Amino acid sequence: MDGDEVNIQMEGLLKVFRKDDREIVALKDFNLQVDDGELVCLLGPSGCGKTTVLRIVAGLEPKSGGRVSVSGEEVSGAGPNRGVVFQEFALFPWRTVRKNIEFGLEVKGIPPCEKEAVSSRYIDLVNLEGFENVHPQQLSGGMKQRVGIARALANDPAVLLMDEPFGALDAQTRNLMQKELLRIWSATEKTILFVTHSVDEAVFLADRIVVMTARPGKVKEIIPIPIPRPRDRTSPEFISVRGEVLSVLETEFEKTMAQELSGD
Amino acid sequence: MKSLAQFIRGTVQRNWRRVLLGALSLVVFFGAWQTYSWYLNANDIGYKAYFPYPGEVAEAFLDSFVTPDFSGLLMTDHIMASLKRIFLGFTLAFAIALPAGLLIGSYLTAEAVGMPIVEIFRPIPPLAWIPIVLIVLGHLSGPVVIVFLGIFFPVLFNVILGVKRVDPLLLDAAKTLGAKRNHIFFKVILPFTTPYLMTGIKVGLGIGWMCIVAAEMVGQYGGGVGYYIWARTAESNYDYVFAGIAMIAILGILTTGVASQVERRLYRWMGMK
Repeated sequence: MDGDEVNIQMEGLLKVFRKDDREIVALKDFNLQVDDGELVCLLGPSGCGKTTVLRIVAGLEPKSGGRVSVSGEEVSGAGPNRGVVFQEFALFPWRTVRKNIEFGLEVKGIPPCEKEAVSSRYIDLVNLEGFENVHPQQLSGGMKQRVGIARALANDPAVLLMDEPFGALDAQTRNLMQKELLRIWSATEKTILFVTHSVDEAVFLADRIVVMTARPGKVKEIIPIPIPRPRDRTSPEFISVRGEVLSVLETEFEKTMAQELSGD
Repeated sequence: MKSLAQFIRGTVQRNWRRVLLGALSLVVFFGAWQTYSWYLNANDIGYKAYFPYPGEVAEAFLDSFVTPDFSGLLMTDHIMASLKRIFLGFTLAFAIALPAGLLIGSYLTAEAVGMPIVEIFRPIPPLAWIPIVLIVLGHLSGPVVIVFLGIFFPVLFNVILGVKRVDPLLLDAAKTLGAKRNHIFFKVILPFTTPYLMTGIKVGLGIGWMCIVAAEMVGQYGGGVGYYIWARTAESNYDYVFAGIAMIAILGILTTGVASQVERRLYRWMGMK
């Protein structure tokens, strides 16, 4: 991949929710390009619409206006060229690890031996060897999300959309999974759009951080993170970038607070 | 069978206090029965024949397996007749209630069309249909339909409930993995609904046994344990009547036991327990 081709393209994205005869503008004139092979974090106060952006790209949520395309194809409905990793894992509890990972392949009608070869490859990639025949219920949160990532990747999607994927994990597991994600990312060279509300996580992972405004959600600022990987959270460089991002975000947090207090 | 024995042994070892108290409760029950029958006999009270000793009932129970009754049938024939009706009624109810429940639960159109009809029939006790159904459909098909009505509604309503509770997140996940409508139906909604279906089946089988006894008593043809109880009452052979009642209890326990075993295996296979 040549790395400067645009993969995800959003232009003038608009999203309006209707709630009891009231219109809530969740996104307004949202513009963003994500290049091929890039890892971009969407960061913003809660309720700013970052998950909505991701769900629209995934095709799980209809847009009210604007244009969204992935790999040059206009998005209409969910499809296997956009893999999604959910915060709550969303694994099928009645399927084993292997069967969860094979879901997308099964739906595509891939023949059994090829299916098994593909799922084995991704089981290896996310380090789940030995757990192939275990059901999700018996796995820890971190391992469940490894299955979630492998399942999304097994379809070989053009982009990976991750909705606060490590939000339900404890702090240690979260740090480990962030390192694992970077390893998997460099092995697969996927384009990743990653939603988070953690500044620390965004600075650790991202090529670029997109800070969103409070409702209606817009791009407030795009901050490139020039720190070479592997990044050290305790390095002065990391801490200063982190401070920079936090200060950009802070005014938006204050706006959200004001919105909430006014009962909007 | 070996695993069942192991299961029982394990249960006894883990819950010996419960097992002991349960055994004690049975001893007290049969002791009280024995004492009461003995009291009736000793005092020569008029209705003692209606209340045979537990031993007499046990004897009648065993005898009914070897000595044919006046219609020339053994207890095994009656059991087979009842089981056949339960099986047919159950199969019919399952085959219709499962797809109907999946449809009504999944599609608002199906719900709007189906629910008014379902709501009309639901409050009617299956037993209310016995006279007319037996006249119209005869003595094999009639009780089968009654059993069908008893099992149909618990299965239907539990399946609808299960479909309505399908985790929307799993539907999202399936869609993003490329699942089309039929995949979502068979690979997400159906497996998610299975535990609800099993609950419906267990409740339905309990009701099914009540229905079959009543229908066979009214029908009075072609054998069946309900028929047996009624016929033995007409003969004034009350120890045999109690034997028939005991047989119903045993068959009821066995069918729900089988359903529970199936459920347990299914859940283990599905990784849900």
